[in-house]
Amino acid sequence: MGRGGASARAGGEWRTHGVSVEGYRHRRTGVPCQDAWHSAQFRTGSGDRIVVLAVADGAGSRPRSQEGAQLAVRLATEHFGREAAQLRVPAGEAVHGLLHSAFQSVCREFLVAVEQTGAPAQDFATTLTVVVITPDWLGHLSVGDGLVIVRAGTDEDGIPLFHLLPQAAAASEYSNETVFLTSRDAGRWVRTDCVDDPGIDAVVLSTDGLTQAALTRFQTPNASFLAAVLGPLETSAKDPDTEEADLAELLRSDRLSAVNADDKTLLRAVRV
Amino acid sequence: MMNEPPPPTAVPQYADFDFELDNNAQRLPLVLCLDNSRSMEGRPIQALNEALREWTRELHDDVSLSYSVEVAVITFGDQSVTAYRGAEPLYPGMNLSPFVPAHAFTAPTLAANGVTLMTEAVELAMQIVAARKTELRKLGLQYYRPQICLVTDGLPTDGTGHYTTTWQRIVPVLAEEQRSRRFRLYAIGVGGITERGQAVLRAFAPTYNAQLQGFPFRELLQMMSASAAAEQKGEGEEAFEKIFHQFRTQRPAWEA
Repeated sequence: MGRGGASARAGGEWRTHGVSVEGYRHRRTGVPCQDAWHSAQFRTGSGDRIVVLAVADGAGSRPRSQEGAQLAVRLATEHFGREAAQLRVPAGEAVHGLLHSAFQSVCREFLVAVEQTGAPAQDFATTLTVVVITPDWLGHLSVGDGLVIVRAGTDEDGIPLFHLLPQAAAASEYSNETVFLTSRDAGRWVRTDCVDDPGIDAVVLSTDGLTQAALTRFQTPNASFLAAVLGPLETSAKDPDTEEADLAELLRSDRLSAVNADDKTLLRAVRV
Repeated sequence: MMNEPPPPTAVPQYADFDFELDNNAQRLPLVLCLDNSRSMEGRPIQALNEALREWTRELHDDVSLSYSVEVAVITFGDQSVTAYRGAEPLYPGMNLSPFVPAHAFTAPTLAANGVTLMTEAVELAMQIVAARKTELRKLGLQYYRPQICLVTDGLPTDGTGHYTTTWQRIVPVLAEEQRSRRFRLYAIGVGGITERGQAVLRAFAPTYNAQLQGFPFRELLQMMSASAAAEQKGEGEEAFEKIFHQFRTQRPAWEA
């Protein structure tokens, strides 16, 4: 990954925007979108900014997974943001510890909340992918098949480079089967990463419904798609509501539906 | 037939980005393993041909299934087992995959004649599914669990047209393959299939077997599409069982 100025990240502000749309298959049968996203910003005691981004993909086979996805992203931004804001840790092993600790808090509260409904926890099954951006590092935790791509550095022609963060191990050979927050051994499948790169100036999270658009067949970032969806966020020229409608229309387009019929969520963040 | 333009992106600002649409979709291999032996002659084979053409049109109309489903047809009759690549039969030595993306699929027009080499046809179906998965993995493409749909009105025979028990050799293989979730096998008895014939199908596909009156091929193919759509929704096994139950009881409410 390329490197830029550390001060730029420490001093930078992040603009974030997300959208979730129901997939083609759900649209044809009148089923609402079971994806969710949420983002939040926090301040540390010393005034540094912490940004937390989360996306979740509710299991198509479970009746209340939409609620599960929404609950998961809300709890994730709250717990990951709080822990990162309260405890300043250096890049490295301590970050993995912090991410796991926040994840356990999310799971505990998630299970308590769903237990109160009287329905089985599995009815709320959802994946969860979280990114925490601090002045010192970028942390990533994922259970399930969400994607995180960061932009950092440039090639020799000055073209920005995109990097796919490592994904959690696949749970099955089939693309529609994955691990959920409520899976019995979810903890075993959790993937965490700590990226120490002050040059990161954009982050994209997505659920697996956008895998074919965001990645090439060789599992490398599709720079063309990523640059297109980040572009509008990098200028303040466009009305945010119009821009959201345009992005939603893109995600619902036949072009993207043809390659993946699943619900789609795109959560993007750029440093401004 | 493989070079149709991709569906458009309506939003102008997003019209320019490129990705390998036709090459990048998630795939769902679907094998139709169809009996075209002599007993299917006349109205049954006509009904099958009509149903295949209509189903093909419906598949083309579904933006997502048309790009994810890959159809291969295997027939058993006329002294042999034949794999088709769309409408074209493949002959030994032609090193081509029989799978065709649904949006480019053209149904073959089948004739009925000859014997019922059902065992060999099912073996070929398993082979092409395994080979296709290997290809898809090599290509870096994601895929859903494949579906094999076996349709017959008779008993398995040898090359001379006499009933043979060789089908028993694949029962444990099929059991293991299905237990390992390598594909979903649907085994459908139609027309005047006997109880002995239906017992073979039950042994092949303990979960998804059915004996149907007449030749309701249209409903059968719609059920395969409904099951493919359920795969895309990430449904659990109970959803597939429900779709199959609706099909067995001839209630075409696939998406209810």
